[in-house]
Amino acid sequence: MKHVYRILWQDHSRTHLIWAFLGTLAGFVLLLAGIQFYTDLKNVLAENRDLLDPEYIVINKKVNIGQTLGLESGFSQEEIEEIRAQPFADRVDPFLSNAFPVSGYTENERFPDFYTELFFEAIPDEYIDVKSEDWHWDPVKGTIPIIIPQDYLNLYNFGFAPSQGLPQVPKGIISMINFRIRLRGQGTGNYDDYTGRIVGFSNRIHSILVPLDFLQWANDKYGYFKKAEPSQVILVSKDPTDPSIVRFLDEKGYDTIREKLKSSRMNIILKFLISFLVAVAGIIIGLAFLVFLISLQLMISRSSDKIRRLNKLGFHYREISRPYIVLLMILMAGVTGLSLLLTAILTRQFADTASEWNLHVASSLHRIIYGVGLGLVILIAGVNTGAILVSTRRLCN
Amino acid sequence: MTISLEKLVPIPLLEQGTSGSGIWEKDSVIFEQEKSYLVIAPSGRGKTSLLSILYGLREDYHGKALLDGSDISAFGWKRWSMLRKNHFSFIFQGLELFDNLTALENIELKNSVTGHRPVQYIKEMAEELGIYSCLNRKAGILSFGQQQRVAIVRSLCQPFSFLFADECFSHIDRLNGEKAFRLIQRECSMQGAGMILTSLHDMEHIQADERFLI
Repeated sequence: MKHVYRILWQDHSRTHLIWAFLGTLAGFVLLLAGIQFYTDLKNVLAENRDLLDPEYIVINKKVNIGQTLGLESGFSQEEIEEIRAQPFADRVDPFLSNAFPVSGYTENERFPDFYTELFFEAIPDEYIDVKSEDWHWDPVKGTIPIIIPQDYLNLYNFGFAPSQGLPQVPKGIISMINFRIRLRGQGTGNYDDYTGRIVGFSNRIHSILVPLDFLQWANDKYGYFKKAEPSQVILVSKDPTDPSIVRFLDEKGYDTIREKLKSSRMNIILKFLISFLVAVAGIIIGLAFLVFLISLQLMISRSSDKIRRLNKLGFHYREISRPYIVLLMILMAGVTGLSLLLTAILTRQFADTASEWNLHVASSLHRIIYGVGLGLVILIAGVNTGAILVSTRRLCN
Repeated sequence: MTISLEKLVPIPLLEQGTSGSGIWEKDSVIFEQEKSYLVIAPSGRGKTSLLSILYGLREDYHGKALLDGSDISAFGWKRWSMLRKNHFSFIFQGLELFDNLTALENIELKNSVTGHRPVQYIKEMAEELGIYSCLNRKAGILSFGQQQRVAIVRSLCQPFSFLFADECFSHIDRLNGEKAFRLIQRECSMQGAGMILTSLHDMEHIQADERFLI
């Protein structure tokens, strides 16, 4: 058989094969490195997600002139159901608002007098980031626990108090102050006073929160406003980096605190970049694959006289195609080995750079890289082998 | 092995006419193993066509060619490849040598398929035909007569039941032709093989069991 190899390999076009080899190699490295880095960065983003704690996303409708004029209100039941149906939403609940007037005032000689109209909102406890023993409504004691945003306190302590010559108040003191909370039902004189106490400060929810069971009870007892649709909805998402969240919100004209979805946006950009990279790699691999196919076919057609001659001497077309298939396999093995090696080198470099930025990425190849590389090689080798067999067979009889 | 022809005619010959042919006009022709046949005809009467049909290279014919009773037109790739490796040897009129290989490499190419003969044996056959000194030269630079003898030696480097020799002495002088024929004859009888030779004109030194004029 060695003479058959010599005879048939004589007619190869070295330039064609080298270009096809280099092209396939470049495409492979681009593709494999792209997948490797994407997997790494996705993991990094997933880590950051825990740091940013954005699993809880509060959604509201963008305020527009319609709302100012009172034409549009909050989320309808259908809209809430629609959000619930989204694959990224694991749990969705609307905010419950007070349906009666609320006001609060201080009754303490050591603090300046303070009176304000208030609003309350309530959501199920699972969404709340403050854990306090006092966070429950006891109708007998009649003390209303309240959670306010951390930002409100900051606003008072660092903005309002210094400018008005008022004292700054630490968290601990605030929690000790009892407020009087007045809930008014319909009609004059129909009101009750309760004690209110701030039991915690939330970083997650920008609203004045009271326990859900309290607000339900109070709305039953005092409520007389026309039932308003909830203006905010809270949802829990397992994967807040999921780009479909941002896409959905944009599409529906909903708003949220965008900071929390930063990793989601980064994910979109990353996905876009990687898709671009993969598309380019795909085109390169496709072209290289064609050059491979054409070079081998050219080789076969250049050797067509020799192939016919070998066939006359009794060689089966499969035996005649073997030198071409062996050549193909050698080149493919080279592409696989070299592309994995180059991708591994790039990965090591990338990991070194990333560790300078305090990002932890894998310094060795992910298992999927071997899978994708081998799968593609088998595909290319398979199609080419088929083409070789078909065209040598055509020359024989 | 027996080859039998039933009203076999190559299609191109139909237009040209086959009157008086000792093969194409006959209802049945039989070639048997261990016998030798000489087919004599001027150019263009279908000598090469006959051998090509029997060797499976051509399918443009009417009638039937049978090998041990089975129709050769039904044979597939595997069967033909097997027959050409183990049962049919062919000395092509066009020789079909690879110019870039040496004479010896050309012979080894065929011999390596079955490992039929040791190199020493090949060299002895070459010696006998007076081409020993050419063995290590590229086939492309040998004279046609030398090439013809290389092709003859090559054809003997495989097991066979039939040898098809297509005008294989055309460029060899009478003396060397006789030597070549003796070698072929000896190899055929060693293998118990039949041979079908074609020639433009009758050659006295060729002993044949049957002569066909076509």
